[in-house]
Amino acid sequence: MNPVIRREFIGILRSPRAFGMLVCLTIVFSLAVLMRWPSDASVDLSGVQSLQVFRVFGYGLMAGVIFLVPAFPATSLVNEKNSGTLALLLNSPMNGASIYLGKISGVLLFSVLVLFCSLPASAACFAMGGIGDHKFLLLYLVLGLLTLQYTTLGMLVSSYVQSSDSAVRITYAAVFALLFLTLLPDVFFRGTGVGGVVAADVGQWIRGFSPLPAVMEVLGQSDMGSLGLKTLPGVTRFVLLALVSSGAFAAWTISRLNHRIFDQSRSKGRITNEMDGTSRLLRRLIFIVDPNRRKGGIPWFLNPVMVKEFRCRRFGRAQWLLRLVSVCAVTSMVLTYMAATGITSWGVETIGALLVLLQVLLVVVLAPSLGSGLISGERDSGGWELLRMTPISSFRLVIGKLMSVVWTLLLVLMATLPGYVMMVMIAPELSLQVQQVLVCLLWTSVYALSVSAAVGSLFKSTAVSTSVTYVIVIGVFLLPLLIWLGRDAPFGFDTVQTALLLNPVGAALSVIEAPGFESYELLPLSWWIAGGVSGLMFVLLGVQVWRLSRAV
Amino acid sequence: MSGTDAVIQIEGLTKRYGEFTALDGLSMQVGQGQILGFIGPNGAGKTTTIKILVGLLKATSGRASIAGANCLTESRKIKKLVGYMPDDFGKYNNMRVSEYLDFFGAVYGISRQPRRKRVDEVLEIAGATYMKDLYVDALSRGMQQRVALARTMMHDPEVLILDEPANGLDPQARIDMRTLLLRLSEMGKTLIVTSHILPELARVCDVVAMITQGKLRAFGTVDSIMREIQQRRTFEIQLLDRASVEVGATDVRDWLNGKVDEEKGGAGTADAAPAEQMVRFNTSLSDEAIAPLLAHLVNRGLPISQFREVPTDLEDAFLHVANEPGVGQDAVIDGEKAS
Repeated sequence: MNPVIRREFIGILRSPRAFGMLVCLTIVFSLAVLMRWPSDASVDLSGVQSLQVFRVFGYGLMAGVIFLVPAFPATSLVNEKNSGTLALLLNSPMNGASIYLGKISGVLLFSVLVLFCSLPASAACFAMGGIGDHKFLLLYLVLGLLTLQYTTLGMLVSSYVQSSDSAVRITYAAVFALLFLTLLPDVFFRGTGVGGVVAADVGQWIRGFSPLPAVMEVLGQSDMGSLGLKTLPGVTRFVLLALVSSGAFAAWTISRLNHRIFDQSRSKGRITNEMDGTSRLLRRLIFIVDPNRRKGGIPWFLNPVMVKEFRCRRFGRAQWLLRLVSVCAVTSMVLTYMAATGITSWGVETIGALLVLLQVLLVVVLAPSLGSGLISGERDSGGWELLRMTPISSFRLVIGKLMSVVWTLLLVLMATLPGYVMMVMIAPELSLQVQQVLVCLLWTSVYALSVSAAVGSLFKSTAVSTSVTYVIVIGVFLLPLLIWLGRDAPFGFDTVQTALLLNPVGAALSVIEAPGFESYELLPLSWWIAGGVSGLMFVLLGVQVWRLSRAV
Repeated sequence: MSGTDAVIQIEGLTKRYGEFTALDGLSMQVGQGQILGFIGPNGAGKTTTIKILVGLLKATSGRASIAGANCLTESRKIKKLVGYMPDDFGKYNNMRVSEYLDFFGAVYGISRQPRRKRVDEVLEIAGATYMKDLYVDALSRGMQQRVALARTMMHDPEVLILDEPANGLDPQARIDMRTLLLRLSEMGKTLIVTSHILPELARVCDVVAMITQGKLRAFGTVDSIMREIQQRRTFEIQLLDRASVEVGATDVRDWLNGKVDEEKGGAGTADAAPAEQMVRFNTSLSDEAIAPLLAHLVNRGLPISQFREVPTDLEDAFLHVANEPGVGQDAVIDGEKAS
């Protein structure tokens, strides 16, 4: 047996995190099926009830794979690199391919265990009757390939980055890009005629990278009819693309597993001030805020911790923020312009829902990325000890750290304001709704930030805090939407309404009267809940910071 | 040194974690401008002592003060008085050295203009001016040590506590670090330095404190501690031929047996080392008492080429203190008193 497989697999199995995860998954899957298990004695021969249970189970299992699987391969190679053991492995008679095979097999074996945890629930679902065994096999095939795709992707990211927390961040961002962003071109091109048949075909193929259409097809919520019979089924398309992309990711990573992986010379630290006039001008035009310009020192009116947070984030620096804000502003304007000029048949409500979802997606991706490492990052790097030695108070420290995330999220939220302004210009009667939506989004940001910061502060390792925070934040924001997907069947109106109250996104969508959300009354209770939970999380963060800063 | 001269005063400092005693009644004083070498094996209690001194840990009992400020109750004052350089660098990614130092200066409340000047000053003192625009995460270990020292000096503290400053440094960088420590001492700074590289430490320290299992075992100047510890000195007699080695060893043994040290019993022991053509002996006799031995051996016709005392250093003294069962659990070798 490849020694790396043994070490990797047993290493993961021995970690309490993995054990807890497996136990939780088994309980969650079993509970999900149990909750929807028919209570009456009558036999449902149509299979409708079992299909309802199967959908809950299928989406839940997919969510489990998406949340839990990428964290392990993402840290796999970078941890090995940082601890120096990758150099030892590369120095051994093992070649890059066998090291890769060993590592990926260990992670895949664990992922198979995650899928195995669902088998009791799956068997119970099957026992209800009405669903053919091929459906189960197809679901497991899609999820198995999804696991393979995300594992290979995580390892590819891991081979490039320098720290485990950035590996987790980038991997999750890539996973969400594959999951959601791949759907957008098809939504944009289908039926609009823009770009002709080729664009529509390309859009469909890009859509095939996402597992969502394939899983929806298996769970009987396919959109085959709308696509036409000539098109390739979603499952087949996904299987093909997942295999090809996994192979490509694997080959790419293996090609990096040699001595060149350490070939990274130290930065010369060349700054713009020392460049010639033309280069300086060019950089000023490209960057607007040039990251390589020598700084004048932190002014007295700014919290130094906040400035430090901005400066030591690669993505958080001003030039990146400006780019992100520009993209958001342009996207929101284009969406609203399309609705106004009738390029699409979408109504203002759909456009509003898209804007809300775009912002929520940004908040959900950005908040854990920036917030989870606020405290754990300091503890991980040894900076916490240094900060404790300075006269800065814990309060000022936490405020500085939180403000660095607040400004980022605020800028991103404000970037979509032009879209809303255009919306109000098109339909002035929506003014109050738009205001309420903006308040909802503000609460969403506060909610995501407080949960990320509080949960992240509980861990010492940045990689662990980032992974756990992503799982929790995404869970909190995605779970109600998953339950909403099962509205009427299997979940009743009250269940869905209660679930949507868990975060302010449902409230924002119901206020803007997005299709499917019109009937829910979520305000102002949703705001109170968001405020309460955020308050609790900030208290938790405060207590944790106080605990870590005091001398014992 | 009187209590009033001392910048750092520690009395009966004790730290317990449940049943485990990490620090057991530690007492010592360090004067202004002195460099204290704080040595002990891993887990001896050095870092615990340092963390109490800088206000990061609370002592179970005892007192500690720096420049009159109580380390246990006046942590804000202590933070301004002390610059602490932990073993861990504490790097921030994507920050240049100047930004890194600027941040720490701002956190210490230094206003913008003086801070800029101070960044240049500390970089100059640490010999790291050329690193100003480099990224902190791209620095080598030796470069990081210099930047860490610059960071420690940013707020111009009276006392510098440096945990393993020579760790990971190449020989040239170690020499530079040694010069730097002496320069800081000349500037009137009081320094506490821990290190496992004892010969390095012996060259710069005014006083040394040796600690094992949370207890202070020896305290004083390097010379005084060694004088106190060296109850028996080792001598080597180099002979010109191998055949004379056994004869020489017997002669030395007989001569030593003829002398009785009234305080310490036997006068010494001698061993033959034929492979090295050498007779090695240790004795508690003074230089005056031992001088006639050479004449005695020459008169006996032994072909002697060298007669020398084996110099002991701080490493030997440390090993003696750490391993010698004779050093009682509560005994402290007070080199200062001895001297």
